[in-house]
Amino acid sequence: MEQIVFGIGITALTGALATIAGSAEDTESNIGSQGDPNSQVQLAPQMGFVHRIFNKAVAGEPPAYGLWCALGAGLAWAFMAMQVNAVLAIVLGCVLAVFVQGVYATTAYLGRTASLAKFGQPVYVDVLKSMTSVTMAHAFIAIFSTVTLCHLINGALGHPFPLPLLGLIWGIALGAAGSATGNPYYGKERQYQNQKFGAGVPISASGNIVRYAEAGERNSLDNGFFTHKIGGSASGVCFGLIVFLEIWRTILFEQISAGWGAIIVGILMILIFTVIDRYIEVWARKNYGPYTEAKVAS
Amino acid sequence: MSAVAAKPQAGGAMNPAAMAVGVVMLIILVGIGYAISPGLGLTALIGIIIGGVLIGFGTHFVPVGGAPAAMGQAPGIATGVAMLAAGAGLAGLFGGAWAAEQGLVVATVTGGVGGGLLMAITCMMVNFVYVFGMGIPSASGKVAKDPITGDTQAEFKSQGTEGHGLPFISFVGGVIGGFLGGAGGTLIYVQLLELYEASLPAMMGLPPAQVVPIAVAAAGMFAVGLFLVNAVLTAYNITGTIEGPHDPKFKRWPRAIVASAVASAMCGLVAILIVVPM
Repeated sequence: MEQIVFGIGITALTGALATIAGSAEDTESNIGSQGDPNSQVQLAPQMGFVHRIFNKAVAGEPPAYGLWCALGAGLAWAFMAMQVNAVLAIVLGCVLAVFVQGVYATTAYLGRTASLAKFGQPVYVDVLKSMTSVTMAHAFIAIFSTVTLCHLINGALGHPFPLPLLGLIWGIALGAAGSATGNPYYGKERQYQNQKFGAGVPISASGNIVRYAEAGERNSLDNGFFTHKIGGSASGVCFGLIVFLEIWRTILFEQISAGWGAIIVGILMILIFTVIDRYIEVWARKNYGPYTEAKVAS
Repeated sequence: MSAVAAKPQAGGAMNPAAMAVGVVMLIILVGIGYAISPGLGLTALIGIIIGGVLIGFGTHFVPVGGAPAAMGQAPGIATGVAMLAAGAGLAGLFGGAWAAEQGLVVATVTGGVGGGLLMAITCMMVNFVYVFGMGIPSASGKVAKDPITGDTQAEFKSQGTEGHGLPFISFVGGVIGGFLGGAGGTLIYVQLLELYEASLPAMMGLPPAQVVPIAVAAAGMFAVGLFLVNAVLTAYNITGTIEGPHDPKFKRWPRAIVASAVASAMCGLVAILIVVPM
């Protein structure tokens, strides 16, 4: 019984850490402009819209976070093997991983922006100086939370995979959840605030991203502030639910019917999310209504 | 034929000669596996091939919209095919590895459910953000009616877009894709783990208990690597984006099956050769 209570406590902690990680990951990727919406940041100068948005699509978010979390976890693992205290080892490992992230961010911004020179896009050194440290700070929160939850899974819950492998797996899952949930909010709702609310961006408007703020030119910090409220929170909830429910069903129900208990609970949870998704879809169709009459739609 | 003259092939255009070459290569690779290790090694190789095929097939179900989806210009999840499939499949592998002691069937199904659960949560949250964050209903650009619910799609497409969000068929496709990917990854892991746990003690001259961490780490790394090989290979077959099982591109799956089987056999042979003395 004590073991189960202990497991539930650790599960709750990993869920909370995952929620923080998901939120920080999405905000980092929006401030740094990483992931699919960055296609518009790269496209804008080619369409004549010079801007001051950060531009660092190092890679897709899942492999990028897979690398950084595996690096942080691997280094923390090495420090722990050298008898360094676990907390200090994780912090040191994550700091070193964040430096790698900072190097990638810097070279990506300089390389990507320099490639747009023929379209008149300048490399803004002040943008590089002010944004890179902010993306690094958010990346540290995301990587630290992920590596810590991996350490808890490995050390306290006894998962067989070594820490670096868990870092790679949950880093990729973190990037997948964060980019899937958060990207549309940054890509459509923030970059194209000048388009109609409640509709997708017409393909003809591609590249015409919003470049001006209330005062002066818009920068990526404004984007992080805006998207964190819904996109970041939703990404956090998404990754938090994934980690929490995956571990929760294993801890509580794995011993029932030789493993089939966890499977049945997992299937039930999938069915519950299916019902919720269908409810959301139907709710939108009823409340927002069609854009055109069904007869004339093409 | 020049690139300009080549016609885009959205459906299931197959090249029988290439498929035949693939099948021959597969038979040769399995034959090599039989020659070097007719017992446990061959069983592991066949398990790896089945796992790889499951991953390759499952990736076709995952609704991925790429960059256009991030602007609400196309349906699907706004990220890359290989990345999302890897995220789901590896989360499944995490669960499956935990259940490895419960036997092959339980571990494989646990892995599948783990992958399906990740996709269910992610797809639900994608629709949540589209509907409550951006005020956009779901609409498919590839079919007039949702094949499962029968909901009409065209009038819910906003002007100048190919659709947006995740219609119900895409949600179901995502869950099936996550399930197959997680099950395939776990199957590969369990097969390699059994092989390594049986082979490494004699090879390294250590008691079985001491080689377990090495076996787990090596099997896990190969499973992750094989997952990425098959997911990326399938991403090339899909060429960018796919809405799910209702998308015409879905018909391309047979050639991905053959390619995944050959690639998995090749990589699986390498994974087996590290513990089989020649």
